[in-house]
Amino acid sequence: MRALVLKDCYVIGKQLKFFLLFILIMSAIPSSFNNAFAVVYAAMLPYTAMAYDERSRWDQMTAMMPYSRRDVVLGKYAFGWLCILAAAGLSAVVQLLLSIFPYFGAFSPIVLLVSVCSGVCILSITLPLMFRFGVEKGRLAMFFLIFLVCASAGTIGSISDSGANFLTAYRDVALLGLPLLAVVLTLVSLPLSVWLYGRRQR
Amino acid sequence: MNAIELSHICKSFGSFSIEDLCLTVPRGTICGLAGENGAGKSTTIRLLMNALRPDSGFAAVLGVDTASPEFLAVKEDVGVVLDEAYFPEVLSAAQVGKIMAKTYRRWDGACYDAYLDRFALPPNKAFKDFSRGMKMKLAIAVALSHQPRLLILDEATSGLDPIVRDEVLELFNEFTREEDHSILISSHILSDLEKLCDYIAFLHQGRLLFCEEKDALLEKYGIFVGTAEQADSLLREAVVGREASGLGGVRALVRRADVPDSLTLEKPTLEDIILFTVKGGRAS
Repeated sequence: MRALVLKDCYVIGKQLKFFLLFILIMSAIPSSFNNAFAVVYAAMLPYTAMAYDERSRWDQMTAMMPYSRRDVVLGKYAFGWLCILAAAGLSAVVQLLLSIFPYFGAFSPIVLLVSVCSGVCILSITLPLMFRFGVEKGRLAMFFLIFLVCASAGTIGSISDSGANFLTAYRDVALLGLPLLAVVLTLVSLPLSVWLYGRRQR
Repeated sequence: MNAIELSHICKSFGSFSIEDLCLTVPRGTICGLAGENGAGKSTTIRLLMNALRPDSGFAAVLGVDTASPEFLAVKEDVGVVLDEAYFPEVLSAAQVGKIMAKTYRRWDGACYDAYLDRFALPPNKAFKDFSRGMKMKLAIAVALSHQPRLLILDEATSGLDPIVRDEVLELFNEFTREEDHSILISSHILSDLEKLCDYIAFLHQGRLLFCEEKDALLEKYGIFVGTAEQADSLLREAVVGREASGLGGVRALVRRADVPDSLTLEKPTLEDIILFTVKGGRAS
């Protein structure tokens, strides 16, 4: 499975430079929406890799290699999680550095946590659809994904920007509820994706 | 032990189906899989590698049931070259090597680099900028660099120029010098199969018409060239297929055992046997 993740990293290598720049800029803009968007957007990177796979019919190759369907599916989830975590890490570093200057405001770990959890949830909701229909046919799911990305970032941003009291009031929900939701969705999504991918392969 | 064993495999896709496919490739041999476009060669290979599940029947590779969980480990021993090299277009040969090093436990990086050198493949050029021949050479280099015991080649030599094709065939020949190494190769280029293979299997419209030892197959048949009257005098069951050869002449593939010894027959090529078999089937 490590090989499949490495392959995805190579495949989106050129876009990764653009993506890193995008995270840096979005994280530097003093707005919770932008900070959250940088992280949640990372959940879309597996679809870019899947589009390349589909165009080259890479699944024909993996079917001949010592990979189970579970490995192939898990590889895409792992790649998505890595992208989200890398984006969150980078965003945190940028925001921590900028928080030295009063203009940029304080770094909010809760916004970051909520962003990471939202990214994982989006991945869990949309990946099964991509495995069933493929990226080409799954365009509708893609539009849904973009809507989710924007809505998540917007919601996180508006909650965060509406004041510290709100965040304090919902801190428990953010700290416990969302990670739990992300875990539950992932636990349901993974076997569903394996099953759907298997059906597509038949 | 057999390298490949397909027993009564059936797989239906609606308009096309593989019907009751039985094919055995003994270990240490090279088996050529011939057949026209859409005959089911690639489907057979996908069934063999468990990329497709048969509706019924049994498949085993290197003695392991392909439907069993243990088959995943057996894939380490099987090098596959498909009709196209399906690597993502942005990858380079060097990156493909690094990915394969993490895919196969017995990946031999030095061997892979040697193949890249031998095939004059640039390690850092993007795959999308490769010619078809270069793409196939990369796929062959990958298939040979993880110490497989079985090679499954689906049109692996198509798109290669005759000189490189010859070199690749020699590579495959070298591969089978190890006594437990086997090859299943499908190809449209029947002269390649005739040059390389010990066994020839012929698929036609999803059915295996024959699978025989190549030398026995070439001995079994002869080409009759004569007049239409002479051809008509032959036993009906002796003639596999016939065609007009101009000026009232006839050319026919006949079974040597069913014609008189006094009749002079030419030695057939594999192409003759396959073409007449298909034509004969159509005529009947």
